[in-house]
Amino acid sequence: MSVRTNEAPGNVSLIGGEMLLWSDMSAVAGVTDWRDVALELIRRLMPAGGRVLLVGPHPQPLVDEVAEAAGTAAVLLRSYPDACALGERHPDLAVYCGRLEVFDAGEPYDLVLALDGLMRTHSAEAPASAWRQSLAALAGLVAPGGRLVLGVRNDLGVDRSLEARPADRECGDDQWAPHGFDPSYPGGPDDLDRGLEAAGLNLLRCYAAYPDRQAPRALMSREALREDLPDALTFTLSAREDERMLAADPLRLTRLVFRHRLGDQLAPMWLAIATRPPATEKPPAEEMVTSSATEVSAAEEPGGAAELPLGLFEEGAGLYELLPAGVRRLPDGEEQPIPGGRVVEEILVDACAREDVATVRELLSALATWLEDEDGDPSAGTDSLVHDGARFAAIARPADLPERPDPKVALCRILRRFAVRLLAAGHHHPWPWPLEADQLTLTLCAMAGRECDQKDVDQARKLDVELGRPAELAEHTPTYRDLLRGRDRLADQLAAALARIARLETKLTYRERELVKTKARLRRSRRKAGAYRRSLGYRLTRRLSRPRKVARRVMRLLSG
Amino acid sequence: MDESNHWYGHSHILGRYCDIPDETPRRIQGYLQHGWNYLHGFPPNDQWCCPGYPRFIWSDVLRRRGWSMGRRGHYLIGAPWIYLLELEPELGVRPERKGTIWYPFHGWEKSSVSGDHGRLADEIRDVENGPVTVCLYWLEFANPDIRQAYKSRGFRVICHGDRGSRWDGKGRDFLRKQLVELRRHRRVASNRLGSALFYGASVGCDVAVYGDPMQFEDERPEYGGTERRKRLWPELHGTSVDPGLAAEITRRELGFEYQATPEELRRMFGWRRARAAATPSGSGTALARRQDRAARRDPADPQPRERRGDRAPRAASVRQGQPRGVRP
Repeated sequence: MSVRTNEAPGNVSLIGGEMLLWSDMSAVAGVTDWRDVALELIRRLMPAGGRVLLVGPHPQPLVDEVAEAAGTAAVLLRSYPDACALGERHPDLAVYCGRLEVFDAGEPYDLVLALDGLMRTHSAEAPASAWRQSLAALAGLVAPGGRLVLGVRNDLGVDRSLEARPADRECGDDQWAPHGFDPSYPGGPDDLDRGLEAAGLNLLRCYAAYPDRQAPRALMSREALREDLPDALTFTLSAREDERMLAADPLRLTRLVFRHRLGDQLAPMWLAIATRPPATEKPPAEEMVTSSATEVSAAEEPGGAAELPLGLFEEGAGLYELLPAGVRRLPDGEEQPIPGGRVVEEILVDACAREDVATVRELLSALATWLEDEDGDPSAGTDSLVHDGARFAAIARPADLPERPDPKVALCRILRRFAVRLLAAGHHHPWPWPLEADQLTLTLCAMAGRECDQKDVDQARKLDVELGRPAELAEHTPTYRDLLRGRDRLADQLAAALARIARLETKLTYRERELVKTKARLRRSRRKAGAYRRSLGYRLTRRLSRPRKVARRVMRLLSG
Repeated sequence: MDESNHWYGHSHILGRYCDIPDETPRRIQGYLQHGWNYLHGFPPNDQWCCPGYPRFIWSDVLRRRGWSMGRRGHYLIGAPWIYLLELEPELGVRPERKGTIWYPFHGWEKSSVSGDHGRLADEIRDVENGPVTVCLYWLEFANPDIRQAYKSRGFRVICHGDRGSRWDGKGRDFLRKQLVELRRHRRVASNRLGSALFYGASVGCDVAVYGDPMQFEDERPEYGGTERRKRLWPELHGTSVDPGLAAEITRRELGFEYQATPEELRRMFGWRRARAAATPSGSGTALARRQDRAARRDPADPQPRERRGDRAPRAASVRQGQPRGVRP
């Protein structure tokens, strides 16, 4: 990459420590891919006509939203090319390029957003500061009464335990000072609270971000995580939609995290919303109060946590807010209770694991009846349906379809989706023959007591495309787990193939032996027949019978 | 796939259930359990069941046991008998059932059993009150001494025939004959627990297991012997057995709750459906059978029975005119 400094747009200021030949926006850098939940949260926090500062790299839609909604917006980036690109895209935005520690804001900001955390505010031009130092520098940019939104990656996040090789120890170009050697980095939610307190900030609300730190799709407040969350919700939080089967292990592990009520401690990432107390208040360091007490008092303040959502999560194309007694679809949906029961896909995968075909038959029959007789949602999937033992309920809102599809096609679509995901996830299942998703789909339909054919499956595929939710999983970089799974599958197939060959060889040997015996018998019979034909008796008989036969033919001819 | 899939007309029955035209039974792509078994559904030396092909077994306990013994690829479909009951709800049904049908434990083509049939016949005479029919396996039936041992005590001696093979039609009606015989008797007994006992219990016969259990010449130790059978099912041994308990165990052992749909079986067995040759919708097809059952259902009964549940042993007995089900 070669970028000359004299090409910088007029709104880009170099403050020192800028990285000229570096970009944080490439896929390798792994900037947190915040989407709807973060946008919704920022909308709620945006001060009318206030000053907003974005610290570190953020996804483009989020920057665009801030640039449009804020009275005055500024961005601090370490990458020079990124700063130039941003400066060109938003000429009214003040873009500062350099290290956080040397940034002199002049006037503090009403809202400081550092959703990507503090790691990418350091520059290769200077030794990396400790987390607390960076936080102190960041806190200094927050005006009294202003707010800070800070993303903090959890070193003990549930997603960490799934990595064969941690992403921050891959000796990537951005790891000149690898993460993990900073003693001031928060080692848990309480440590995070203390860090914020030490920086002179009061915590308003802390969210746990799920399902992973690369692309959080849900924010759940500590208060919400203390409750027993229903399956319909935790399943959604546990893995991204396109990975709910693929990432089977993370899903299981994350479900356990919620079941053990460790959602806050083991969150892949935290998103802390803190406020700098007005100047009249006593410095927090002098107050002998616990962090939780601080949290409560801050929450009770006007404009405190009460206006912040209890939780936000993305499901399909929709964004939902968690309420004390249910959920509501944003922006203007009504409150709905969260359906109870177990996620259908989990019930099926569990049944497959113990080869319980009776349960599969029963559940699929009930599903088919639900679609046919109870106007079930044809756009649902086994991963977005819960079953409480008697009834099915869709977790997400039904998709808008121009016309209701044939229940058979709808069933095929749901089951094909399940088949694709089951096979892709490498779960154990009892069907040895239909290794192809379409064939397995037809078998599943048969188990539901519905006779479908390839035409129905083709229509189901079309319906999937119409809904914009292809069953096939997106290509992804294979993980250690995938490799192990692939190896196991190949080993099984090889064992089966070898056994089949051995069996067929045995059969072949047996058949060959039988063939040789039969040929010998045939030879013997032919020899006997030849000897018989040569015998005097046979020849006499033939000679005697021939004239009679001729006479009979002549008689027949004459008699017409 | 394997010859044993076609024994006792199993493949023929399943073919009929799947609306497959009645010709030479098709090859089943997998291994069908051919008799009640308390190991894993197959003999201990089952290396001929090669991995990659499913093992179609009757009950979940066999799957669990097989799994623990390193076997995989089980697929539960229940016993072919339950499909025969579905196909033949009326076959051999009589208003009044009499006597006992007694199945002495039998050997097979490659291994015979040793035991004193004369002594067993005496014991049967002492225990049974009504007329007794002794059903011998064709090997024992071919032995005039064994036949005579029972005939001389005044018993009727029959044989359901050869178990057959895929290529000859001999075993095709084995289970049908057995069904007819079981439905004419009030009681079924044997000196060992076996398929016939459970088949009998499933059509409403009282059950009894008594007498010298006899021994295979090379009985495999993996089964655990008679003692294990007695430990596992103590309640089924004796001259008089609780019918409710027998019904419950029968339901489990024959896998009534695992009955598959015809289309599922066709797909699992690798049977492509010959649509043109199959009977068009009407009597005889699986769909027609189901509709027929629905029509025959008692209209006064507001709760329709479960699809598979209605074949489960239930209160109505055969003696009351019900074709299937065992007494509670």
